[in-house]
This record gives sequence, structure tokens and C-alpha cells, in this order.
Amino acid sequence: MEEESNESRREMTMPESGDFGLLKTQILMSLPSIRRMSLARREALAGYAFVIPWIIGFLIFTIGPMLASLYFSFTKYNIVDPPQWVGLANYAKAFSGIWDAIRTGDPRQFRDPLFWKALQVTIYYASIALPLNLAFSFFLAVLLNQKVRGINIWRTIYFLPSIIAGVAVTILWVRILNPRVGVLNPFLKDVLGVQSPPGWLSDPEWAIPALVMMGLWSVGGSMIIYLAGLQGVPTDLYDAAKVDGANAWQRFWNVTFPMMTPVLFYNLVLGMIATFQYFTQVYVATSNSLGGLGSPQHSTLFYNVYLYQNAFRYFDMGYASTLAWILFLIVLILTALIFRSSEAWVYYEGQLRGRG
Amino acid sequence: MKKNLFTILTTLVLASVLLSACGGATPAPAATEPAATEPAATEAAATEAPAEPAAEGEKQKVVIFVGFGTGTDPDQVAAQEALAKKFNDSHEDIEMEFLIVPNEEATERFLAMVSGDNAPQLVGPHGTSTIARFKEYWEDVTPYIERDAYDMSDFYGPATTINKYPDLDAGLPLGLYPSFLFYNKDAFDAAGLDYPTHDYADTSWNLDALKEMAIQLTLDANDNTPADPDFDPSSIKQWGYGDTWTDMRGQLTMFGAPDVGRPTTDDYKTATFNAPERVFGFQWLHDGIWKDHFIPDANGQAAIDSTGADPFGSGQVAIWYSHTWFMSEALNELPFAYDIAPLFYNQDGERIARIHADLFTMPKNAENKDAAWEVMKWLVAPEQIVEVCQIYGCLPARKSSAEAYLNFLKERYPTIDHAVIFEAIDYLDNPHHESWVPEWGKVNDTLNNVLSILYSDPEADVQAVMDQGNEDLQKILDEYWANQ
Amino acid sequence: MSKLPNFALGLFRSVSGHELFIKGITTLILASGSILILIPFLYMISTSLKDPAQIRSDSASLFPRKPKMAEVNGNPEPLYAVTVDGQSHEFALVRKMPEGLGQFVDPARPDVIHELKINDQQQLYRWDIHWENYGEAIRAMPFWRYLGNTLIVTFVGMAGMLFSCSLVAYGFSRFRARWLNLLFLLLLSTIMLPSQVRLIPVYILFQRLGWVDTLLPLIVPQFFANAYDVFLLRQFFMTIPLELDDAAKIDGANPLQILLYIILPQARPALVSVGIFHFLYAWNDFYEPLIFLHSRENWTLAVGLQTFDALYTVNTHLIMAVSVLMIIPPILLFFFSQKIFTQGVVFTGIKG
Repeated sequence: MEEESNESRREMTMPESGDFGLLKTQILMSLPSIRRMSLARREALAGYAFVIPWIIGFLIFTIGPMLASLYFSFTKYNIVDPPQWVGLANYAKAFSGIWDAIRTGDPRQFRDPLFWKALQVTIYYASIALPLNLAFSFFLAVLLNQKVRGINIWRTIYFLPSIIAGVAVTILWVRILNPRVGVLNPFLKDVLGVQSPPGWLSDPEWAIPALVMMGLWSVGGSMIIYLAGLQGVPTDLYDAAKVDGANAWQRFWNVTFPMMTPVLFYNLVLGMIATFQYFTQVYVATSNSLGGLGSPQHSTLFYNVYLYQNAFRYFDMGYASTLAWILFLIVLILTALIFRSSEAWVYYEGQLRGRG
Repeated sequence: MKKNLFTILTTLVLASVLLSACGGATPAPAATEPAATEPAATEAAATEAPAEPAAEGEKQKVVIFVGFGTGTDPDQVAAQEALAKKFNDSHEDIEMEFLIVPNEEATERFLAMVSGDNAPQLVGPHGTSTIARFKEYWEDVTPYIERDAYDMSDFYGPATTINKYPDLDAGLPLGLYPSFLFYNKDAFDAAGLDYPTHDYADTSWNLDALKEMAIQLTLDANDNTPADPDFDPSSIKQWGYGDTWTDMRGQLTMFGAPDVGRPTTDDYKTATFNAPERVFGFQWLHDGIWKDHFIPDANGQAAIDSTGADPFGSGQVAIWYSHTWFMSEALNELPFAYDIAPLFYNQDGERIARIHADLFTMPKNAENKDAAWEVMKWLVAPEQIVEVCQIYGCLPARKSSAEAYLNFLKERYPTIDHAVIFEAIDYLDNPHHESWVPEWGKVNDTLNNVLSILYSDPEADVQAVMDQGNEDLQKILDEYWANQ
Repeated sequence: MSKLPNFALGLFRSVSGHELFIKGITTLILASGSILILIPFLYMISTSLKDPAQIRSDSASLFPRKPKMAEVNGNPEPLYAVTVDGQSHEFALVRKMPEGLGQFVDPARPDVIHELKINDQQQLYRWDIHWENYGEAIRAMPFWRYLGNTLIVTFVGMAGMLFSCSLVAYGFSRFRARWLNLLFLLLLSTIMLPSQVRLIPVYILFQRLGWVDTLLPLIVPQFFANAYDVFLLRQFFMTIPLELDDAAKIDGANPLQILLYIILPQARPALVSVGIFHFLYAWNDFYEPLIFLHSRENWTLAVGLQTFDALYTVNTHLIMAVSVLMIIPPILLFFFSQKIFTQGVVFTGIKG
């Protein structure tokens, strides 16, 4: 009701351009209910029309493979022989033994202890890496948004790490973190006075923190998105705040941060999806190491690594697909939760009210 | 504004098309590149899938998938192309081609090709591990051998048995890679030690003798050995002994359990990983790493690996246990004098020197299998086998080629004792350390997890770790048999 | 400004001093962080200028160098800076002895042997930079062909991506419709499934289409939008106020015109971002090209880089050389796109 009157008020006060516009206004105003329906319907159709390129692509390239992998998750499939239907056996394998394990507290009671280990490793990593990455890249972006001389050069430097392929980054970092020939431990010992620096990638306790550190080095990617967002904050808001006497911190908290929540939301959702699918860096760092993938002692056995092993080392494509779809469900639920919560904390300037 | 972006992009597209045109014959997609807005779906439909069955009278195509083992080095690529040309010039009805795939992605690419009905006709050269891993994928060549009454007598006995299972003979033997010790003569001189014996019959050359020697050859940054009180394990710059380019099964093989390189019984139903000999071996290695410090630990190995160098050539390991394939890429322009020696005897007075055996195999659902069989025979024929083996660095599996290969060795590596290489064949491991077990990949990963404990945990309780590993292995076996 | 009372002017003066302070701190932090960032790059560059022997024996050094050698009795031996009797000399190490000692001689007088502790002496080096690694790397593979392929895949894909993602993101952000939310969730869900399990089915799909061993699997899907870029653009579009949209609507603009003339100009930083990201992704991607491209002529640079990494021979110097070369275009792209990037958007006179 209120919308309608707002719109009609606007249409009455705004000057029309040309006779046709005037005629249109008169006609439209004289048919209130039909106008609203056809306007809404037209809007909906336009919306779908713009989304069609993706829908077509989805139907051609994406849905087939997705459904195929769902099918495989109910089969035993070693790729060279045709898939054999096994129903829920793969899912049972992943989840069996839960009650015994909880009861006795012994991880060996699980039918597939590595599945749970992989989940634990991944969640542990996500819980450290995600907040750190979000905060750090945001902080960097704010820093790089200042009007300092040569800021372009600084921005390029901080963006450099994300330019090199993940593979090369990992190889570099494996070298840096090596306790014997790397530069980090001598630095810790001599400069910061740390008595016995950890073994990083060869120490089960420190492998994940080492990977988090590696990831922080390459925040250039998310930093740029924040930068773009910061550039998009209208300067008149800052001016208004300054006139109102707000200091730097208040300006940040009351203008910058709220305006950045859409970008933050983006980085949160995609960051969450990415951390749960973390693979390449671990693969490069551990596949040629002594204990193979997931070493030392499964401390880096990420979910996707375990999945990869099942698919391409054990040729158990069926179970790998099962693992994939379990992950899919977990990530889907988490994403839906984040979306649900977004209404409380994300602010869009251009948000449409009354979304269908 | 968007129009400007469009203009820039279109210009770039045109520029890149021009650039690639300059780079040589334009690949088909560049020629059909559309303006930025149209998808090229329709044009692509004309491109054919690679390995379609040849029509009558056309040449049969044999694609050799190289990438699981050696063969991907740029020099080898050129040599293989020359080899293919030699074959194609002399055969009218078959055309062969080497498909070189980087080792990292060989598995994925192979699986994709197999699943896409595009399997290569031959795969190789690769060894026992790949054959065991993909055991269900290979065609059994026994019928082909029988059909052609192929003469197998010229091959070394072990070469024919290592990759042969009751239900599968994976292919004609190509080459062997016996193993022996590489030692750094300069390091021995600096330590004032005598070189190890080259006499295979000398039984005093055993684990204890090696240990003594290796301790003397281990130096920290101040040139102290582990026998000196001031020795600092965290600054070791040279280790005495290393055997790290193999997996858990490989490293424990030399200690001589009843099943040698296979951690299960004959029927594959019972795990024997924690056999006493293996526990002994694990303890010996563990002490060598953490007590006597003459074997590099995980950090040490990672340090060596991260330089892109090998442990021996970089001078960081004085005695290095490896195979003949190590010679072809690592023994070039070394800054020190080196030689090779037999592996030492183990604690039971046995010598078990691991071997690798390479061959080409045929995926069972590839096309043109007869043509593939012809190519396989050609590659291991007496006329070609030495040339092929020179590309891949293996000892030809034919006894009649031994002399030609010996001459090649004398020319390429004049300073070493060649007899050591040939004599090592007699001491190979059977059952082989890479041989098939159920769920090969899973067993390997489980055992390699034990390996990582060995090299990274100074406090490990050896018996407990081995028992746990055995239990895990048994679980895998049980699950496999339950599903059969 | 002139309307402000005097004390406020004083405030501004100290504010500018305050701002200078902030700028100073910023620069300091940025500088120290840069060192951290740049050191691995320096390693990359220095490794690319070494030869395999140097990498093997002297990989920790940032400087490509070789030991200085001198001829002693017909053999080249390494030189050390040695202090004997208070005088410094350059002696050659001819023999290593037990207990860390070594026999040093003056090359001019090889008969006089000094036994000294090796670790107390300073080994001498000379610069040994191998610029030819770059030439060798370029010649070792069909570099220009690979570059061409990479450029095609990258730029045509980018054009397709920008085109399709703008449309789709616009649809998801500026329209009300019953199923749009669900479709958006479906869009996002496509990236939630790990790609390893889709590899085989996707390969078979492209095989059936006949696109294997062409550049098409890498380019065509870009024309149908992807979740990452659509999501990002959607977020940006939703930060753009509706007032200009409405004004245009009233002027009779259709949705497409609103997209082209109102939304896209304001979303420039976002468009540049997704463009850069796509460029980086396509430029460095080796997994997909590797699976879909069979013949070596069709490879991209990232895949070609892999050829140096054979099973036993790791040509680290060549890999680093090509890696350094591969970094240059993205850096240039990023540096020069900053202008578009940093254009602030200023709204004047639109108050709701």
C-alpha cells in the first residue's frame, strides 16, 4: 500500500518528458491493480530473461556431471569397469560406527576413521583461516586505500603473491618453512629470540598453522575486492560524517564498515566454500613428502585430499562421489545459514524491498 | 564506457589471434575464433575424437602413453620422437605416437582417456607399482605370446616373473633397474675411510659395517661426527647413508621377512607387516635417524628436496642406495669422485637388493590391440631394445643385449665398476616390494603413514607403531575380502 | 571551509598534522610488510638466474654465484680468503682432511701446504648470472605458440565472462521474481561440489561434443556465466542506489539500457576486479588445460611449464625462468588498471 502511494506520488511530482510519457502516466494511473500485476510480472520475466545465459550453461555443462556424480555415489565404480549399483552402502561406510565411537571415545570404532579425521582437519583449518583471512585482507585494503604517495606500487606489491600460481607459491613456502634451510626459523631464533621454533610442515601440531600462514601471504585476491568496495563508498557520506565531527575510528565504524558488509558477505561465503575445498596447496606441499598426502600422520588430511585419494589413488570413484556429496550438503547448509543471517548484518544501498 | 572495454578486448583478441598465427601452424580453434559475443559450439562439432577405429586400408594408430614412469624429460621426448619415426618409416600398416604426459597428472589424464573410450593402446614404460595399482586395467598378454609362439628364453628369468600374476601377464619385459650403493669417494677420503668392498661374496659387509662407516661420514656444521661429544644434530650438513627415494615396503625389504617385499601372506588374507624382521628393520632405521643420526630425518629430506637436487649429487648423503635409473639424471657433472658398491648383507646374512622392472602394458579396453602387440614386440626386439633402454636408463631385459649395454655404460659412465650393476640382479626381491596386494593404493598410503612416523617422531615406540600398522592393514584386507 | 569559525580552522591544521602521522605509519607498515612479500620473489628471480649445479650446491644464496677457482697442479680448486701470520691471502683448498681441517696452498707456490680449519676461512665467490636460462626456457618449448594459446583462452574467456556475468548478476540483483532466490542458491551450489568427482563426467561430455584437444572447453563455458563472478557483481550491483534506476525508468529506459548506461559505469571497480581475477585464473590454470588438451601444440603456458618437471629431472632453473616471465603480464595488467579501479564514485544531489 505504502509502496503504491510512494510510486504514484513520485510519478506525480517528477516531470515527464514528452507527450508519450504523460499519456503513459495517465493510463497507468487509471488502472491501479492491473498495472501492478503486469508491472510485477514484466519485472519477473525481465529478471529471468537476464539470468537465462547461466541457466542454459547450467543445463549443458553443469547439471549432467553433477547428476552423474550423484549417481556414482550409489555405485561401486573403478572407472575401467562399468558402475555397479550398491545403494546406500557408501554412505553407510562413511557414517557407520558413530555410536560406538562416541560411546567408547575411540576413533578406531568408526568404520572409516579417516573420513572423520578429514572432517576434523578441515573444520579446524576453516575455523582459523577464515576469520584471519577476512580480517587481514580487510585491514590491508583499508591500509592501501589511503592517499599515500606511490600507493599504486604498494598495491601491486601486496597483490603480487596472488599472481603466482598456487603451485609455485606452495613450493616457495615449503622451502621457507623448512627448519633446516628455510629462512623463517633462523629469523624466529635470532631476531625474535624464540627458543625452539616448531617444525611447521613436518610437525603434526604445526602443519595447519603453517598452511594458514601460507594462505595469509596470498590475501591479495580478497584484498582487491575490499579495495573495490572501499572505492565504491560514496565520498559524500564521509564528508557528512566529518562535518558532524566524527573522528577516523567513528567514520570507519559507522560509514566504511556498514557499506562494506556486502563485500564482506561475499568474502565470507566464498571463503567458507574455498576453505572447505582446500586442496591444491596441500597436494603440492605433501604429495612428494615422506608420508605422502596428508602427512605428517594425517594432520593435513583435508577432506578434498581424502576425496582425491579415493578417486585417483584407490580408484573408488563411488566412495569419492559419496564424500563429495556429503561435503556438498554440509557446505550448502552452512551457506544457507549465512544467507539467513545476512539480513541482520548486511546492508545494501540498492536493495529491493519486497523480494518475492 | 563498456564500449571502450569492448573495443580494448576485441583488439586484444585479434592481437592474440595474430600472435598465435605467427607462432607456427595455426591450431584449428584459433582459425575459427568468433567475435567476442558468439559461442563457437557449432564449428566444434566437426572435430573428431582422436582414437576412432581406422577404416579399412588405413593405418592403425597406436598411442603410447608415457608419464607414469620415466620418459617425460625434454631430452627423452626428442629421443622418443626419433624412435617413433624409425618405427613408422619401417611399418606401413601401423602408425605409432608417443603421448607424453607430465608425471603429476598422468593418473588423471589416463583415467579420463580410459573413461572416455579413448584409452591409449600402450602405456609405459612403467614399473611394478603402476602395474599393480591399475591391475584391473591391463590386458593379459599370455594369449598373444602363445599365439605367436614368442620366444621368451632370451629374457632374464626375474624380468619375466616380477610382473606376472596367476591371472595376468602384464607385458613383455623391457628393462631392469638393479639397485646398489652409490658412494662419494671424496667424502670417504675426507673421513680417512676405506671404500666399501665391491666383492659380492664378502659377508663382512653388513649392517653393522655400514653403520660404523656411515657414522664416520656424518658431519655437522663444525665437522663433528656423531661419535664426537660436540655433535649437533640440528646442523648436519652431510649424512652417512640414505635410502629415501622409496616407500615403506621398499625400505623394509632388505631386512628379509618371509614374504620379503609383500606385507601379506600368499593368499593375501593375513597381514604380516609386523614380522620380526621388519620390526628389527624399523628399529634399525629409527636408531639410524634419531640415535646415531647418520640417516636424514624428515626435515633433512625436505631440506634436500626443496633445493630441487638429489641427496647424493648435492653431496649431502655420502652413501646412497638406489637403482640404475638414478644414474641417468643425477650422475652428470658431479663435483666429486664417486663409485658404486654392492648392497650390504642384512642381519640374517642375506642380501636382498631391490629391483625395478619396467615394461609397456596394454589397456584392456583400447582399440587396435593387435597393432599394439606388434609395437610392443618391436620395442623389446633385440634390434631396438638397447636403444629404447638407453632412452629410459634401464638395463635391457635380454641376456643377449648385456654386452651392448655394457659398452654403453662404459662410454657414458667410465669411472664406475660396471660389474656391480649386473651382479645385483641375482639378489632381487621376490615377492617384489611393489607387487600387487588388495587395495594397493590404500595399503600403500597406510604404510606410508607409518613411514612418516619413522622419520618424524624421535620417541616412537617401534613395536607399537608396527603393530598398529599391521592392524590397519589387516582391516583393509578384511574389508576387501568381505566385499568379494 | 571559510565559513567555519577560527577554532575549527585550528582543528584542521592539527588534523592535517594528524593525517601526516597516519600516512607515515601507513608507509612504514607497508614497507616492512613488502619486504616479507618480496623476499620469496627475490628467491624466484635468483633461482631463475642460476644453473642446475648452483641450485644443487648453493641454493640458499640469493645471489647467483660460483666459487672462485684457481688452477693448482692442473686441477681447479676453490679459493678461500685466508689469514696466515696476520696477513690475508687467497689460498686454494686442495684436500679435505678429517676433523674439519683442510690443506690450503697459494696457487703461485703449490708446494707450501698450510693446514687450517676450513670453517674459519671465508670461501670466495664470483658472480655467475645465467641470463641464458630465459632464452633456453623459451626455446625449450613452443613458447610463443603457448603464449598465443594462453592469450586466446584468457581474453576471449574474459570477454565472454564479463558479458554473461553482467547480464546474469543484473538479473539477480535488480529484479523481483518468485524463483530468483532459489536460482541464486542453485548457482552457488554449483561450486560446492568438489570438482574432482566431476572430472570424468565432464571429460566424457566434452569428448562426446568433440571438443577434446581444442581450446573450446576452456573458453565456451565462460560465455554462460560462473558463480564466483556473478556473485561478486551481484553484491556490487546491490550497493548501487536505486534512485538513478528509478529516474531512468521514468524516462522510459528499458532494463537493458539501465544496465548499460547506469549500472555498469558505476560498477567499474567491480568489473575490473572480476576481469583481473578471471585473467589470473585463466593465465595460471593448468589442471583443466592439461586434461582437455592432448597435443602439445595446443597447450597453454601453465601446462608447458609442467614439461620441465619430469619425473626425475627437475629443471628448477627453467621452471623459475618461465614462472618469472609468466608473472609479468598480470603485474602490468594490474598496475595499469589501477586508474579505472580507483575512480571513486561521487554522488551529488541525489537525496531520497
